[in-house]
Amino acid sequence: MKLNRNSIIYTAVFTFVVCILFVVILAVANQVTIARVNTNKKLESQVAVLKAFGLADSSTPAGEIDSKYSQFITEKTMDKATAYIATIDGQPYVAVQLTMPGLWGSITAVLATDPKGTVVRGFEVVDQQETPGLGGRISEPWFSDQFREKQTLPDGTIAFAQGSGKGNFDPANGTVDAVTGASRTSDFVSALVNRELALARQIGGTL
Amino acid sequence: MSASSKVIKDGLWYNNPIFVQVLGICSTLAVTNNLRNTLIMVLGVSFATSMGSLTLSALREFIPRKVRMIVQVLVLSFYVIIIDIVLRAYQPAISKQLGPYVGLIITNCILMGRAEAFAASNPPGLAFLDGLANGFGYGWVLLVVAAIREFLGFGSLFGFKIVGDGFTPWTIMVMAPSAFFLVAIALWIANNYKAKAEAAKKAAPGSPGAPAPQKG
Repeated sequence: MKLNRNSIIYTAVFTFVVCILFVVILAVANQVTIARVNTNKKLESQVAVLKAFGLADSSTPAGEIDSKYSQFITEKTMDKATAYIATIDGQPYVAVQLTMPGLWGSITAVLATDPKGTVVRGFEVVDQQETPGLGGRISEPWFSDQFREKQTLPDGTIAFAQGSGKGNFDPANGTVDAVTGASRTSDFVSALVNRELALARQIGGTL
Repeated sequence: MSASSKVIKDGLWYNNPIFVQVLGICSTLAVTNNLRNTLIMVLGVSFATSMGSLTLSALREFIPRKVRMIVQVLVLSFYVIIIDIVLRAYQPAISKQLGPYVGLIITNCILMGRAEAFAASNPPGLAFLDGLANGFGYGWVLLVVAAIREFLGFGSLFGFKIVGDGFTPWTIMVMAPSAFFLVAIALWIANNYKAKAEAAKKAAPGSPGAPAPQKG
């Protein structure tokens, strides 16, 4: 018997079977890889926290990340952020990971500082969707390196200013170079950094 | 000329998705500011187009006409999600950098275009070849555009610095407008070249298309 391809029953059954078949394959593929995806995400977040504390850099082997993280870092969940506490060379340090709005999506970054929030230890962008080549440059090393050992201004903030565009590495002036051609992204990152400093001070006060 | 060599030549040049069909232009604008992302995008599109065409062609005798487009979208998005899952699990850095672009492969007109125009009426092997040829035809144009944009916009190729620190990057090359005019220039050069080659063929003495000698 030849099937009538135009009948309603054939059409409904065919569509149903095809949908189920492809969706089941996708669900299985997702299930098989989910553990690996979660491990990648966890590793990515751990690398960012360790980098902010100055405990790891791009050359640190992936195998060492987990052990270093459990050796130095204590996590503390806050209302809308995650705080991390580390003791390095006998000194306590606080880091805060926070997600705030950016130009195209949200920006997630970690900022580590001393408990009083007077000297930044490091800053690392975990996730961002800014314009590649413009706002996206906040993920480049020259941008985050500016925060290394940077003293905050007397009001406890870090200022973003128009500079050479190559970075402001003077630790004493409390100012970093904004990204050229990305004023909006720079404003969003400035708000994020200063909010993180305020939260870190809050946590630092309880240590 | 055999059917397969015609399909390959069409995809790469005579019926190139960018120059002739003018398909897949959105991603041409979006991902071509660096070569690495472009290469991944090209491989993704080629994989989804070829495998999608192969599957749809194999199913073509069974797909009811009324729901053929729904089935095409389902099959093509299946392959796109597979790419997304594989990248997320095994190439997290690239997956992060490409962000939403991978999911957007499904909106690339080349996929549906080839499924509807070719795979629906040709055998699976040929449909696979057609998908691959169109993916690569789209790919080589994108890679040329990306090489120009990355070189002038960042001073690098595949992320490796080519020029010294004294180089001032052309910010415009990183932004979408540069892709508009680079693709337009590429279209103009390719179509001009094609028109000249055709005219030369017609003018060749003894060819059937050669113009008749002028009188008086």
